[in-house]
Amino acid sequence: MDEQRFAIGLLLPGALWLLLLFAVPLGILLAISFGYTDDLGTAIYGTRLDNFEQAFDPVFLPVLLRSVGFALATVVLCVLIGYPVAYYIAVFGGRFKNVLIALVVLPFFVNYLVRTYAWIAMLGDEGLVNGVLDRNVQFLNTPWAVIGGLVYGYLAFMILPIYAALDRMDPALREAGKDLYGGPWQTFRYVTWPHTLPGVLAGTVLVFLPAVGDFVAAQLLGGPDEYMVGNLIQQQFFAAENWPFGAALTTVMMAFLLIWMVLYLRAAAREAREAAA
Amino acid sequence: MSTTETRPGTPGPAADAEAGARPAPPPRDFDRPRFLKVFTGVFFLVLFAPIALVVLFSFNSSRSLQNFEGFSLRWYERFFENEALRDSLIASIEIALLTMVVATALGTLLAYGLVRARVRFSGALNVLLLVPLVTPEIVAGVSALLLFTQVGLELSLTTIVLAHITFSISYVTVVVRARLASLNPEVENAAMDLGATRLQTFRLITLPALWPAIVAAGLLVFALSFDDFVMSFFTTGESPQPLPVRIWSAIRFGVTPTINAIGTFMLTVSVITIGLAIALPRLLGRRESGLGVLLGRENA
Repeated sequence: MDEQRFAIGLLLPGALWLLLLFAVPLGILLAISFGYTDDLGTAIYGTRLDNFEQAFDPVFLPVLLRSVGFALATVVLCVLIGYPVAYYIAVFGGRFKNVLIALVVLPFFVNYLVRTYAWIAMLGDEGLVNGVLDRNVQFLNTPWAVIGGLVYGYLAFMILPIYAALDRMDPALREAGKDLYGGPWQTFRYVTWPHTLPGVLAGTVLVFLPAVGDFVAAQLLGGPDEYMVGNLIQQQFFAAENWPFGAALTTVMMAFLLIWMVLYLRAAAREAREAAA
Repeated sequence: MSTTETRPGTPGPAADAEAGARPAPPPRDFDRPRFLKVFTGVFFLVLFAPIALVVLFSFNSSRSLQNFEGFSLRWYERFFENEALRDSLIASIEIALLTMVVATALGTLLAYGLVRARVRFSGALNVLLLVPLVTPEIVAGVSALLLFTQVGLELSLTTIVLAHITFSISYVTVVVRARLASLNPEVENAAMDLGATRLQTFRLITLPALWPAIVAAGLLVFALSFDDFVMSFFTTGESPQPLPVRIWSAIRFGVTPTINAIGTFMLTVSVITIGLAIALPRLLGRRESGLGVLLGRENA
């Protein structure tokens, strides 16, 4: 009992902090999204649905859909690029495994803005590639530039869980696949892929969630035609000064992402239970 | 096949046990698909090329991003002689240090409490802990901004620190909890049987065993806070603004070599911090590497 009180006493400050500075603000966000602005642009609480109607209005709906589309394209590219790399490191990395995985992680600790900026320096009109090619190819301000920026930004979140899944997998399983006359493709299709699918799904969620909400890539690498919901939200808070509408857009996005979060957290909890058992 | 030889089970000599934890048969060269090797090579090339470009051209003597015309430190001088930028740098370091100290303390205690306490609402607590990790930063940033304006807190470095601590606690707790779960609670019980008070046990038994995880998590938080843009962007006051917010405003006016210098400087700070996070647990005399601690694994 005494031990109980000691443990609870220790967890209380952190738990309260998260409650007051994370959960409560989400509540405020939700409350304000039903509000409106007065003539001075101040946000007033209310019970209106206008902001949500506006969010799905034909002017803004394409932006929401584009965000999901870009994020999905990012996920697919991350799997296509990340899986082979994770596979090579996990299976053939040998004693360099840790070094290689550290090299994968390292660039992701370089500031995201600086990394995105680096692509402008590479691909911009006066960038290195156009200098080397000695012509003027327009790479930036295209959807692919934004998707490329997102892939470059979040790829590590895909590689790490796939790598972890491959690393945990008993190599004897692949050997068995080969012993049973499975070709490389069949062994991959029926043994390796199903075994690492949880890792791929974890990576999918970990990439998809931040990619949907990103506004840096679209702002720096794209133009207004590539704007995502993050740009729209940011505009409502800093340029348009329509906080209730910005809050409603954020709420819509969060509600959509919540489904993915729940799936991910349940899978993570199941894995933790299995690891404990 | 020879794979049966490496099956674990029979206790061998210590060295053998260490190497045999994961019995990977040495890959034979004909097994190694050429395609994968090339693909991974190209991947690393593309991964590092833009960063290498920024670093290289930060030392360029001209403004050009296409021709390297000679070595010079003039862009670094620009950076450090600019008072506003210097203030931003100092602000960023202050924010990261404060965030590191508070978040590491709160997160470690939270981890301990979560593992040792049996509470009815532990499921809800777990959700409260994990959701910040998967919430897009823009959502957390917007909500923090709304909270601060609703309670009438003026936006300043303080609000940034409060916001940074919030998203950092979860990282610390997850890293420390993984480590804590691998400790044998019997050791704590033994200490208390031998007359140590609960606090003494925590200080003399539990904390020392957790040090590698705490140090690694703290440094990770420092790096994340120092690099953070989105949370800072939504919670910053007028001045001084942290460095990433400064970079954001500058980039929108175009590419300038000074940004190369700032970027290279920030990159150096991050790499040193993460390098320490990986190396320090080793230097503290532990066998495991910080990388394994950070990834929540026993052997890495």
